[in-house]
Amino acid sequence: MVEPISSHSILRIEDLHAHYGKIHVLQGVNLEIPAGGAVALLGRNGVGKSTTLRSALHLMPRSRGRIYFNGEDITALKPERLAGLGIGYVPQGRGIFPLLSVMDNLTLGLRSKPDPNILDEVFTRFPRLKERLSQKGGTLSGGEQQMLAIGRCLMMSPRLLILDEPTEGIMPILVADIRRTIQSINQSGVSVLLVEQNVKTALKICHQTYIMEKGSIAFEGASADLRKQPETIHRYLGLSLDAA
Amino acid sequence: MDLVFALAINGLIWGLIIALIALGLSIIFGLLDIINLAHGDFFMVGTVLAWFIVQSTDNFWLAFILVPIIGLLLGAVIQKLVIVPIKGAAALSIVATFGLSIILQETVRATFGPAPKRLLPPVEGTIPLFGIDYELYRLVAAVISIICLAAFFLFLHKAKLGTWMRAVRHDPETALALGIPVQRIYTITFAIGFGMAALGGVVAAPITTVDFRAGVDILPFCFIAVIIGGLGNLQGTAAAAVLLAFMEGVITAFADPVVARIASLLFMSAVLLVRPQGIFAGATS
Repeated sequence: MVEPISSHSILRIEDLHAHYGKIHVLQGVNLEIPAGGAVALLGRNGVGKSTTLRSALHLMPRSRGRIYFNGEDITALKPERLAGLGIGYVPQGRGIFPLLSVMDNLTLGLRSKPDPNILDEVFTRFPRLKERLSQKGGTLSGGEQQMLAIGRCLMMSPRLLILDEPTEGIMPILVADIRRTIQSINQSGVSVLLVEQNVKTALKICHQTYIMEKGSIAFEGASADLRKQPETIHRYLGLSLDAA
Repeated sequence: MDLVFALAINGLIWGLIIALIALGLSIIFGLLDIINLAHGDFFMVGTVLAWFIVQSTDNFWLAFILVPIIGLLLGAVIQKLVIVPIKGAAALSIVATFGLSIILQETVRATFGPAPKRLLPPVEGTIPLFGIDYELYRLVAAVISIICLAAFFLFLHKAKLGTWMRAVRHDPETALALGIPVQRIYTITFAIGFGMAALGGVVAAPITTVDFRAGVDILPFCFIAVIIGGLGNLQGTAAAAVLLAFMEGVITAFADPVVARIASLLFMSAVLLVRPQGIFAGATS
């Protein structure tokens, strides 16, 4: 039985199916992010986490399923409309445009001049970006590019921030910085959906966790509960939390 | 010596006009992965439209304004009708645009006629240039081309739409997720490609013959410029067009134009062997 749409959910994915050619990659993913919440989507490589994000964001074709944003059915919406609704997306690999300047990268999604207050907020959060505004995006370090990718979403005042492996390829010393940034963005009222290989970081940021296996959700629960179930983490993710 | 000089300058000016056309070809290839075999015909349509407008209004400058606008509109329509259905499949694009090329040529032959015609330059007279009397309009055409090339690069780097085009070329999926209307950018890019070829057509019309086959000769030249400049390298394409036309101009002073074209092809082959990324690689926009 499908539950009624919670008025408190910012994103709800219902029975999402997708194919790569003949391969049935997503086999009925159900996922809900409470407004203001932070949700982690974990799973081994290739179980369909990034595909879930891309499919939910209309960036690849779906075979079936419905997507609701803030209670509104956005399944049939054009993909370019989602950013305007308040969905920010930081893709895997950061998606920086290497030949565009930092400023052009930051303001790329805006249709008018950037709001100076929002720009100030982004610079307060990421002062390094302000120092490198005229530099090309491709010349930034991995950590700076991640800040740029997140800052670019913040420029559009998102209500939901979707991040696909934001700590991938980042120097370990900067991982905690990225984690604190995401936590602070979440505390400012922006909901977060986080796909992450770094399970420890994900569980620290997110209140709730979904674990995927073979194209569907195999576990759903509070992150605090999951931390107490090392056998679940081991079964689905193949690691122990101490080693993670 | 005067002849060599005149042909070299002719080549240089022709190169500036070709640069406009080749840039259109390059952005269409760079953004849409379309190998546009009809691009020379977009230029030809520009010359023919210019001829029609000048015939009916006797005003070249009106043609100069209207032809690129008509080119933009035709480009947008063609992108929707011909390019969207093949979904960026490069192999199919060769067949589809070859068909389009035939349609454009035959439409022009049926309406404009099969005989080549001349369009008189809007600026008459000559000026002395290093000992020769040089046709004034050719210099005007050079100045117009330089201004248009500069405007194009300014647009690409300073205007929001230009920045969006560069972003879509690099990563359409991320661009889409940021709210950039990628499909519309594809249409606009194709339209600009047609518009620039048509602009090249109207500027070139008074110094070439207006003929339904004019595009057949222009197309390989544009492809050679795009390859030598580096695929997707717009500054390189523009520079290569000017260099090639200048080179062909100088060679034409001593040999048959066919020999000049063979020299361009040999140059392209050498570039493909030694620097397949193009001689101007590294300066991509």
